[in-house]
Order: sequence, then structure tokens, then C-alpha cells
Amino acid sequence: MKQLNAIFEGVGSVVQLFLRSASYAGSLPRQWSRFIEQCYLIGYTTLPIVAILSFFIGTVLALEAGYAMEGFGAKEFIGSLVGLSMARELGPMMTAVLLAGRVGSAITAELASMTVYQEIDALKTMNIQAAKILVLPRLAAVLVMMPVLIVIANIVGWFGGSVVARYVSYVGISPEAYFAALRHFTKFKDVINGVEKAEVFGFVVVLVCCDIGLNTRGGPREIGAAVTRAVVVSLILILVLDYFVTKILL
Amino acid sequence: MNTTQQTARVGLFFLLGVALIWVTFETLSDGKFFEEHQHKLVARFNDLRQLKVGDEVRLAGVRVGSVQATRLAGRQAEAVLQIDPTVAIANDSTATIEMAGLISGNYISIDMGSIGAPALADGAEIRTVETPDLNTLMADIGGLGKQLQSSLGSFSAALNGDPSKGGGILQKLDKLVTENSERVNATMTNLQQITDKINRGDGTLGKLVNDPKLHDEMLATVDEIKAAASQAKEFVANAEGVMDQIKSGKGTLGTLVYDQKAADDIRASLANIRSVSDKLAKGEGTLGKLINDPGLYDSAQVTIKKVDRTLDGLNDSGPITAVGIVANALF
Repeated sequence: MKQLNAIFEGVGSVVQLFLRSASYAGSLPRQWSRFIEQCYLIGYTTLPIVAILSFFIGTVLALEAGYAMEGFGAKEFIGSLVGLSMARELGPMMTAVLLAGRVGSAITAELASMTVYQEIDALKTMNIQAAKILVLPRLAAVLVMMPVLIVIANIVGWFGGSVVARYVSYVGISPEAYFAALRHFTKFKDVINGVEKAEVFGFVVVLVCCDIGLNTRGGPREIGAAVTRAVVVSLILILVLDYFVTKILL
Repeated sequence: MNTTQQTARVGLFFLLGVALIWVTFETLSDGKFFEEHQHKLVARFNDLRQLKVGDEVRLAGVRVGSVQATRLAGRQAEAVLQIDPTVAIANDSTATIEMAGLISGNYISIDMGSIGAPALADGAEIRTVETPDLNTLMADIGGLGKQLQSSLGSFSAALNGDPSKGGGILQKLDKLVTENSERVNATMTNLQQITDKINRGDGTLGKLVNDPKLHDEMLATVDEIKAAASQAKEFVANAEGVMDQIKSGKGTLGTLVYDQKAADDIRASLANIRSVSDKLAKGEGTLGKLINDPGLYDSAQVTIKKVDRTLDGLNDSGPITAVGIVANALF
């Protein structure tokens, strides 16, 4: 019962934070520098790890698909499998997971530190709302950066699959055949679906991490616990939301 | 890092993302974000099978559209096809549901129709032909397999048979061979001897096989047979020509066979001949009496005798006038 209460409390807190942040949406142009800074942290600095992860997800997909499809002579469909899987599911989900691990943890750590060391209280004393200057730029930044990250992740993943398809002996299909199958079965609508998923995931991850950071209580030890909790909750939410968003988009 | 550098990097990153989104869009959607107005055709089938929205529509194998919707229409199923408006589908074209592969679903295949046929209008119904699907084919193959199994069972039973009734064909064959093994051996030995003789060139068959002279003679004989056959062919051709002429009523025989007037004449002549012969048989007329009356024969004989005597008198009596002698002899 206590845990259920904690869940309801957490949901309520997140919703309140979102509404407060949304109420300050008009102030975003005046926070341009903060917005750019968050874009840099969320998008630019996350790109290398997203690219590396997506490349290897694409290669593993092609390897597994080649191994499975070789048995019934359907290797030509590897491109379609990698293309659809990356665009609709793995690209958005793995990018959101990375975002939770890299950006979400950083956000929680930063906001938890500010809370623990009473910087948030100082802002409140100056009538500056944390939701306005700490949460809103992050939410706006993740909404702008996620599509870019997803498209790069998709393209890198598709390329990784083509490398395996070309150079692994038991797969052995030409890049032309791989990309022809990919183009045949993967539509731009699938990419858009993936982007929509990623927007939901990214927004929820940043919002939850901000909320957990701002609600940290105790001393410096609690900062680490808050980061851990933020990442775990983010990952669970990504997977739970994945089901429902996919169901809605199909 | 100062704010300007950070802004530049974010701007560059964002532009890169936008460019990649555009590249993806151009690659996957051929630069068409909103669907253009497309012709709609309706295809009715008894069963749409695994056809679903989004499946391809191909004209002579080239993708020209997709399935926009599937729905029930009375006791049939209807597929609404979106067709590229630049492609004209002839009104005598037919649509069929084809399998793209064992794992890649179905598509609608449309043939070209006839040259010069008018194009189907937007919203028109296209003619359809039902084709058997994979399940039907598999069911047929299953039935065939059962029949084959049954046939093989019967064949096997015939081969093996019932042991209490002397077994099947194989057992009977085995028994036959076992019981007649000596005869079979003797026959094989004879056959061996015969083939040996043939190989050595002994006997007619051996000479025929081994002697080149005999071979040449046979060739010559064959040539003669060919020449005879050629002549026979020529004869038959001539006969056919004659028959053709007869059939066409040419020549005497043709006229005789095919001319109605000639037939009537012949019939009349035969009737006349029969009438004359009847009269002759009855002794009517001069000729009939000549044939049938013996008195006339006697009179003629008497007359000839008298003439003979007269001639003898002429030789004996000297120069008397021929008129006086004839008159004397006759009267």
C-alpha cells in the first residue's frame, strides 16, 4: 500500500511539474541560452554513443536475421527486417534508454545536488521557479533533439546492417539488394512513427528525471540514490510506454 | 566553451538532423509527403484471402498503386485500389490476387488488356478472375498424396500379396524363376551361343550383321523398294488425277458416272436392247423368225442347193444366157 501510494505520489508530482513547466512556455524565447545549452547536452554530446550503439544494433540484427532466414531462403528480406526494426522500435527505444542513462542521470544528479545544497530553495526565495528555468529548457531541448538523434540512429543502424549483409559469409547479400528490400518495406511513415515514440520517451524521461531530482531529500548520499531511482524508473517507463504508444500508432 | 561555440555546434547538429530527415524522406517516400489524388478502382472477389490494405497493385509486374481498403460487398469481398493517375488501365484488363512469395503476402496483378481498349474511369469496377490460393493448392496436393499413398499401397499389396494364397507377384515370380531355373539357364546358354554365332558372322543373321556385301545388297534392295514405292506413289497420283477427273465429270468415264443425261440414255438403250432381245426370244420380227423358225432354215438350204445345181448346169450347158439359166433353175 505504501509503495502504491509512492507511485501515485510520483505520478501526481510529475504531472504537476509538467503543468507548471507548460505554464511558463511563453518564457522560452527569453531562455534561449539555457535552451541551447540543453540542446548541446542532450543532442550533440549524446550523438557519438547513439551512433556507436545504433551501428552495432544494426549489425546484430542483420546477423541474427541472416542466421534465421538462411534456413528458408529469405536472406533478401534482411534489409526489410533491419529497416523496419530500427525505424519503428529499436532506434527510438535504444536512444531513449541511452538518454535515460546518460542525460537523465546527469539531470537528476544536477537537480538533486541543487536541491540538497538548497540552491532550489534559494531560487524560490528569489521567486524564480525551478520549473521555469531548470525544467522547461530541458523539455524543449529534448523535443527538438530527439528527432535528430532518431534519424541519425536509424541511418547508422541501417548502414551497420548493410555492412554485415555484405561482408559476413553466411549472409552474403549485396548492399543494393539489402537497401532495395529496406526501401521496399520501410516507409517514411515508419520513421515518423519512430520519431513520435522517441518524442514521448524523451519527454517522459526528462520530466521524470527532473521531478526525482527536484524531490530529493536528505544529504549528498541521497543524490546517488536519486540518480539510480531516476534511471530505473525511466527504463521501466520507456518499456511500459513502448507497448501503449506502439498500440496507439499501429 | 563559450555560448557562441555551443550555439554553433547545436545549430550544425540540428541542420544535420534536418538534412538527414529530408534524405530519409526522399529515399523512402520518393519525395511525396501527402498522397496525390489517385484513381480508384474497385475489384470484387469471392475471397480476398490474405490481401490487406497497403498491398501492392501491379500492372504487368510494375507497381502502379496499392490497396486502399477492403470491405464486404453483399456476398463478395471488395478491394478498393488506388492507381497512379498517369497509368491507364484498359477496361478489358483483369485483376487477380497473386502470391508475392511464401512469406511476403499477396498483391493484385492487373494485365494490360487489349490494345486500343478505352481506359477505366475513376471509381469503375475492374474485371476479376479468381485464382487458387496456396491453401487450396496444398489441400489438392494433400489429396493427391493420399491417392498416391493408396495407389502405392495397392501396388505393394499386389507385389507382396497374401502368403496363404501363394503370395504376390514377387513371390510368384521368384517361384517361377526357381522352378524353371534349369530351363532359364538353358535358354540363356542358347542365347549366348546365338549371339556368339552372330558375332562370328555365322548364319544369315550373322552375315547380315557382319558381312558388308550383304549390307550393300540390302541397301540396294531398299533403294529398289524406294524406287518401286516412288513409282507406286506416281501411279497413285495418276490414279488420283483420273479419279479427280471422273469426279469432276470429265471424259467418257466421268460422263458415264456423273452425267445424268448419259445415264438416262444408257438406261433407255438397255431398255431397247432388252425389248429387242425379248422379241428375238419370242420369234417376233424378221430376225426373230430367222433365229427361231426352222422352216426358214430349210427353205434357205433348198434354195442354196438349187443355186448350186444351177451353177453346175452353167458349167455343163455351154453359153446360155444367164437369165435363162437362172429362170430355168428357179422355176
